[in-house]
Amino acid sequence: MSNPPQKELVTGQQWYAPGAEIPDVDQKLYALQNQCTDCNVCEIACSLVHSPEGELNPLLSRIRISHAPSVNSRKATHGFGFISAICHHCGNPPPCAEVCPVDAFYYDPKTNVAVIAQDKCIQCMECVPACPFDVVFVAPDGELLKCDLCGGEPACVEACATRPEMNNAGKQYTRAPVLFHADAKAFRSVMQQKPEKRDEVGMMQAMLERGEISSSA
Amino acid sequence: MMESRLLRVNLTTGEMRAETLPHALFERWVGGSGINNWLMWEHFLEHDIHCDPRSPDNVFVFGVGPLAGTGSGSGVKGRITFKSPSYGIFGDSAAGGKFPYMVRFAGFDHIVVTGRAPRPVYLYICDGNAVLCDASHLWGRSTGETHALLQQELGDYPSHTHTLTIGVSGENLVGMAGVISDASRIHARGGGGCVMGSKNLKAIAVQGSGGIKVHNPQGMLKWSADFRRRIDANEAIYGFKRRGTLGAVEMYQHIGSHFWRNNQGCLFRGDEVRSDNWVRKYHKYSEVCSADCFIACDGRYKLDGSESPKAAKYAGESFRRPEYLTTASAAGALDVRDWAEVAHWGKLTNEYGMDNQDLSCSISFLMELKEKDLISDRDVAELFGRSQRLEWGNMEDIEACIHDMATRSNLFAELFNDGPYWGALRYSQRKGQNFMKYATYGKGGASFTEEMRPFPTWMNNMAVASRGADHLKGIGLIEKFQRRDLSKRYFNGRTEAADLTIPDLKGASTALIENQVALINSYGVCLFHWMLDPAGFAPEEYYQPAFTEVTGIARTPEELMRDGERICNLEKAFNSRLGLRREHDTICERWMYEPTTEGMYPGSVAANMFEPVLDEYYEWRGWDRTTGLQRRDRMEALGLGDVADVLAAEGALARE
Amino acid sequence: MIRIHTQYQSRFREITGIPGETFELEQPLVSELAWKIAGKYGDRMESLLIDRETNELNERGTMYVDSKGRRVYMEDRLTDGETIAFLIGIAGG
Repeated sequence: MSNPPQKELVTGQQWYAPGAEIPDVDQKLYALQNQCTDCNVCEIACSLVHSPEGELNPLLSRIRISHAPSVNSRKATHGFGFISAICHHCGNPPPCAEVCPVDAFYYDPKTNVAVIAQDKCIQCMECVPACPFDVVFVAPDGELLKCDLCGGEPACVEACATRPEMNNAGKQYTRAPVLFHADAKAFRSVMQQKPEKRDEVGMMQAMLERGEISSSA
Repeated sequence: MMESRLLRVNLTTGEMRAETLPHALFERWVGGSGINNWLMWEHFLEHDIHCDPRSPDNVFVFGVGPLAGTGSGSGVKGRITFKSPSYGIFGDSAAGGKFPYMVRFAGFDHIVVTGRAPRPVYLYICDGNAVLCDASHLWGRSTGETHALLQQELGDYPSHTHTLTIGVSGENLVGMAGVISDASRIHARGGGGCVMGSKNLKAIAVQGSGGIKVHNPQGMLKWSADFRRRIDANEAIYGFKRRGTLGAVEMYQHIGSHFWRNNQGCLFRGDEVRSDNWVRKYHKYSEVCSADCFIACDGRYKLDGSESPKAAKYAGESFRRPEYLTTASAAGALDVRDWAEVAHWGKLTNEYGMDNQDLSCSISFLMELKEKDLISDRDVAELFGRSQRLEWGNMEDIEACIHDMATRSNLFAELFNDGPYWGALRYSQRKGQNFMKYATYGKGGASFTEEMRPFPTWMNNMAVASRGADHLKGIGLIEKFQRRDLSKRYFNGRTEAADLTIPDLKGASTALIENQVALINSYGVCLFHWMLDPAGFAPEEYYQPAFTEVTGIARTPEELMRDGERICNLEKAFNSRLGLRREHDTICERWMYEPTTEGMYPGSVAANMFEPVLDEYYEWRGWDRTTGLQRRDRMEALGLGDVADVLAAEGALARE
Repeated sequence: MIRIHTQYQSRFREITGIPGETFELEQPLVSELAWKIAGKYGDRMESLLIDRETNELNERGTMYVDSKGRRVYMEDRLTDGETIAFLIGIAGG
């Protein structure tokens, strides 16, 4: 097999003493949640890029797609729509790192992302319920999986294809992929973008409803 | 080195065995469909190929190709391969969803099922282990119910549960019964569900926490990123992302390529169904996807009952949005004019697990006989065991027919469950009258709900497709969309393949595209990424690096085309062993002789070009023109000398 | 000067927002019609309609037909009053 990737994709290891000031992650992962189609390419890419053995497996991914819950519960139920469960790169130190009894977290100097040092991790799983977003995962062999942002070029974002302008609830978003690696302001501006007038599929729908064009046009 | 495993299941003895599939098999057959074919070929070297396909001697093969689920973004398609109970010839069918790649995570790429279980069972595969479980509580249930029960029983550990199921139609050995992947996608053609039912196999359920090994991960990721960029840059694909193959509705309405009222016409009637604006009006819920797909063309709807006067009856109903052939079989063949009813037809045919093509053409054949007063009310009562209106577009009638067929509960179902050809033949014999000119079918007696008389390549597809009349082997894109660019590219600058008014290069197009389609089916990915042509690429060129990055097998595009040709030739060899010759590469009277009367190409019949196109197809294939049989020299050149030996011993190889 | 009617389907209609319109052309050529449409509706229409490498009509995933169902090409001549339809080329599966 050629070109085996590294297990963790980081630019280096920056360790901080407990209580030290740690800079926050500037560019995080964001998702246009109601655009997700459950294609799973992000899960496949994440697992593949982190596997030295060239093995892909969604159960080794640090991003997970699940059915959107149709009740107010984190447990996935078969509601319509899908949710990309992404690491939100909480303010440093994140809750997962704070509860770690053996201080097994270091930080990528380029991105300031908290990363689990697998050689120090004792797999106590305290970080799992500590995560407010349920995005610290446990691999089938017990390893704890947390997003490392791939050293600043997240594979999931690269793998995410663009969705067309309008989702089916009639809400309009501009043409965009589901996943973004951006700062908060940039992502908000994506959310607030209106499509170009001529691309407005909603305009078509409005014309249909006003009878300006017939359904068989 | 390609690492892959096969699970052999003998339902008669309950014995199961895992085997490693040798790397050499991928070098010879690419994977997926190609390896499935070989596994079936080997089976019928040891079992009687002339067996009743509903007998334990038949085989049911499931396979998924090496690119499936590797991040190629090209979708995943599982393939089932079997001897067809309805057509009596080579049978195969594809479907997507998540089941196919979960089989890979469970540790297998192929499953071969033989024999017959003594009582209903389901096969449960979990992380390399397989067990046969009692399915008596599932027997009699719809595909959706079966899927839900299995998910409940097997839970979410070590992974979500994914399934292949049959409906009551498969249980009742209905020849047109299909197999449903994850309750929502059907392996429709050829009666795979009937084969499973004949083996008392209600379902296959899988869970898997293992992974798939890729030879060169960085190379694969790089290829995938490039593919994603091409898809995202292609403006036409955004339309497909929104509406899937439903986009064909308006296009076909414009040129006259629909199959209306048993193909008496080629345009849909009814204001609503002539357009895909349904996608915006009715399609209120999420967009969904097969696994590993950048296009994500699917969607789910839920009717609130206000969408149309007829929708009120189906308020609350939810399913996948109809695709083109769901629409063509309902709004076309049966003249259903309300989208809520089209959607309902799609849901029912999936829940019962039947091919909507053969089912709709069986019903529409009888509707035409009734319309023309060729059968009386009494004849209809005899067929259905009750009075039945058999009115075009009457959904109550149609729903009753679906139920009858699935439960095989009356003479209609007995006569027509192998499709419209066999149904028309049996009914004609029973009545002592010749009704064959009203039946629509091609090779094997399979039907297909599109108007094809103006399209000589499509008519050729219907006559020669290995699994029975179908376009998904030799898809006539070059001709139907008049692709001068592809004609020039593949035929040395000639443009005739794109001119549907002449026979030239039509048989050649079928041969070429069959080879390309064989590759896609063997890679294990969806046809539509190629069909939509995001960058003018071809399966043997664009996918070639991906194939190498995943399998480690080096190939040039020319070698891959030869692989595709080899795969097609094995399918042909199977049919030759069954006694198929040139005279079986045929189509129905309506398509051959009855001219079209509407659309943009009125006055079209297949007869004008059928024979020269067929001659050309055989020539390009290197097969004997008179018999249609393969020749040894071409077989040897493809590395099929062993296959040629078998054919020669049975008188199924062209004489030198 | 000739008048040509257009019909738009699917992705074409989503971009234009209308089912069809009429153009006046000085040259009775498909190329003039095509470039007028591309110019009127911007980059997305141009990318759908025109193959930017060859400046021919993009054949991939599209279908442009006259009233006899024949595909038209840039060099084809148009007749006053005829209709050209802009369709997406997709088959069922």
